[in-house]
Amino acid sequence: MKSRNFSSLPIIILLALVSLPLVTMYVFLFVDTISDAPAGSLIPTSFTLEHWRFLWEEPKVGETSIWPVTLNTFIFAATTSSIVMTVSLMAGYALSRLNMPFRRFMLAGLITLHAFPTITLIIAIFLILQLLGLYNTLLGVIIVKTALELPFGIWIMKGFYDTVPWEIEMAGVQDGASRFTVWWKLVLPQVQPGLVALGVFSFLSAWSEFILPQVLSPSGSGQVLSTYLNSLILDDTRPDFNMFKSVGLFYAMPVIFIYLTFQKKLMNIYGGGSKG
Amino acid sequence: MKKPSHLLGLGFMLPALIVVVLFFLLPVFMTAGIAFTNMSTDTGITGGAYELTPNTIHNLRTQGVDNNLLAQLETDVYRIDEPGLAALATDMGDKLAKELGDTHGGVTFQSRRELERAIKKLKNKPRSTRKLKKAAAFFKRSILNQRFETESEFVSATRNLGLDLAPEHQEVLSKASYTGWTWTTENFSLMTKLPSTLRIAGNTVIYVFFTLTFNVSFGLFLAITTFYLPGKAAATFRTIWFLPRILPPVIYVLMWKWLTWDTGFISTFFGQFGVPAKNWMLDTNFHAWVVIILINGFVGASMGMILFSSAIRAIPAPMLYASEVDGATRWQQVRYIILPQLRWPILFITSYQTLSLLTSFEYIFLATDGGPGKATEVWALSAFHQALANYGGNLQYGYGAALALVLVIIGIIASVGYLRVFNFKELVARPRIEQ
Repeated sequence: MKSRNFSSLPIIILLALVSLPLVTMYVFLFVDTISDAPAGSLIPTSFTLEHWRFLWEEPKVGETSIWPVTLNTFIFAATTSSIVMTVSLMAGYALSRLNMPFRRFMLAGLITLHAFPTITLIIAIFLILQLLGLYNTLLGVIIVKTALELPFGIWIMKGFYDTVPWEIEMAGVQDGASRFTVWWKLVLPQVQPGLVALGVFSFLSAWSEFILPQVLSPSGSGQVLSTYLNSLILDDTRPDFNMFKSVGLFYAMPVIFIYLTFQKKLMNIYGGGSKG
Repeated sequence: MKKPSHLLGLGFMLPALIVVVLFFLLPVFMTAGIAFTNMSTDTGITGGAYELTPNTIHNLRTQGVDNNLLAQLETDVYRIDEPGLAALATDMGDKLAKELGDTHGGVTFQSRRELERAIKKLKNKPRSTRKLKKAAAFFKRSILNQRFETESEFVSATRNLGLDLAPEHQEVLSKASYTGWTWTTENFSLMTKLPSTLRIAGNTVIYVFFTLTFNVSFGLFLAITTFYLPGKAAATFRTIWFLPRILPPVIYVLMWKWLTWDTGFISTFFGQFGVPAKNWMLDTNFHAWVVIILINGFVGASMGMILFSSAIRAIPAPMLYASEVDGATRWQQVRYIILPQLRWPILFITSYQTLSLLTSFEYIFLATDGGPGKATEVWALSAFHQALANYGGNLQYGYGAALALVLVIIGIIASVGYLRVFNFKELVARPRIEQ
């Protein structure tokens, strides 16, 4: 709120002060990846691209190249997001508009599922995947991540369908179209913005996911960037923060880019997001 | 007209139902089930076998099972039976086997020496001591360290020992020798006995209380201060404080490690003034707690910031202008106009985040992993450690699930309570994206 009675300068200074730790971290997250500073000093003295060498150098023995891992992460996030979108699109419509048995029961169940956090499920999921032979595969992680995202996705989509006026569908049905055609041709265009937001949200959520790949696919071909970066940090006895940060920035860039592009649409989902 | 709509609805729901039931609903019930088993890496997750090991016998002895019986189980016995005789016949001739069978068939010798003495008395006795020993070895019967796939195999093997086992003893023995998992309530009695339970419960209270206090008060601070700023500046600060939520946890925690570790920012910065470098994250328990609360708090504050901001924006602007005309200071505006409006959002954030903090462990796992020692090990992290990331290598699925189940129960009770306080419909309608 603007007001001429008070200067906003004191507030800006106060906010700048409390934001200092975060801003420092952001600035050095970027600066440290392209520069070197002498030991015991914080101010960089020389420009270098050496910390990014993991992008083009052949990996040493026992190390993994980052490109297959990046591809894995992309497959993981893209598949999860598209399944969540497709399934939520259908289930949300059914729950919002279609007359079917157990509708109330399913709605109540959906809300209840929200109350179960990862820790209460992951032990059983770990055992289920072992029984199914999906342990240590990317496919297993994709299925589980999808299942955990679905209740939220369905709920969001149901909310969108609820805002579509009944009159649109009524008109379609009056003109002799089937319920399916009405959904496909008339209702879907109405909920498209919401669908995009949900897709972006679940893509980011899967891209950032750490616990599930760490537990369900700890080694081998199913590695993703989060577990890759974490094992880099754990392996080193003398931490090379410049290199970690370069890998980290490489991993974070799509997130920052997507966030800046879809900022407005995402803001309201994150307001009710699942992170503490 | 009604039927096709039903079918279409169910068809639309089907994919969601399958995935959710298999990988969400089933795990919930399985967790509850596993909590009442002793399942671990040792027992495996499918069935088990029957195997009597010296360790089992030791356990039985401490449980007060008849010592004589156990001693018999432990020592080898020699029993003249058909399989042994057949083996003897192929190796040393029919005559010896037939004679031994005729004279001592079905007899059990308590020691090798007794059996050897008996064989020596036979007409067709082996000529050398070496052969005598070999002959005796065919009749050695022991179930120690042998695997039996089913209980009946195990029982008949113990019968073959010639032991006089009462049925109830047999049952105790079978139960003790079973290597698979069994149903038990031990996890919960163990939980009440272990001193570490109290410790992780205490840690959880510390963690939730301080993080929550930080989240709510700092979220309020951010929402109110940015409200009074011109648009551009407000948007900048909101983005700065929103980024921790959007960044992948691994990178976010990496930045904190860089800030606090002994080669990191704080150490280097204070190094200029001669302060020796140290790990500011793990140096003492207090350091660890401060860092943990800040790491979680910086993420959590953004949720408060967003919700409080939209609640403040809903306050009619004329009210604020009017108060300014009347000479109210900013502090008075905050105290008498803004804060009373935020009562419900504050209550909502408090209850919502209490629950999610109670079960969250990702940032702690990445930052301190419960250290130093077990100083920052909270309940959820402990369940995770027990069941999925145990340093001993023996993952205790049962105990971990029992710990997790406690969280579920607390969560359900709290949710029911919250639903009574908040308007149910308002709560479930909230997570909707507005365009």
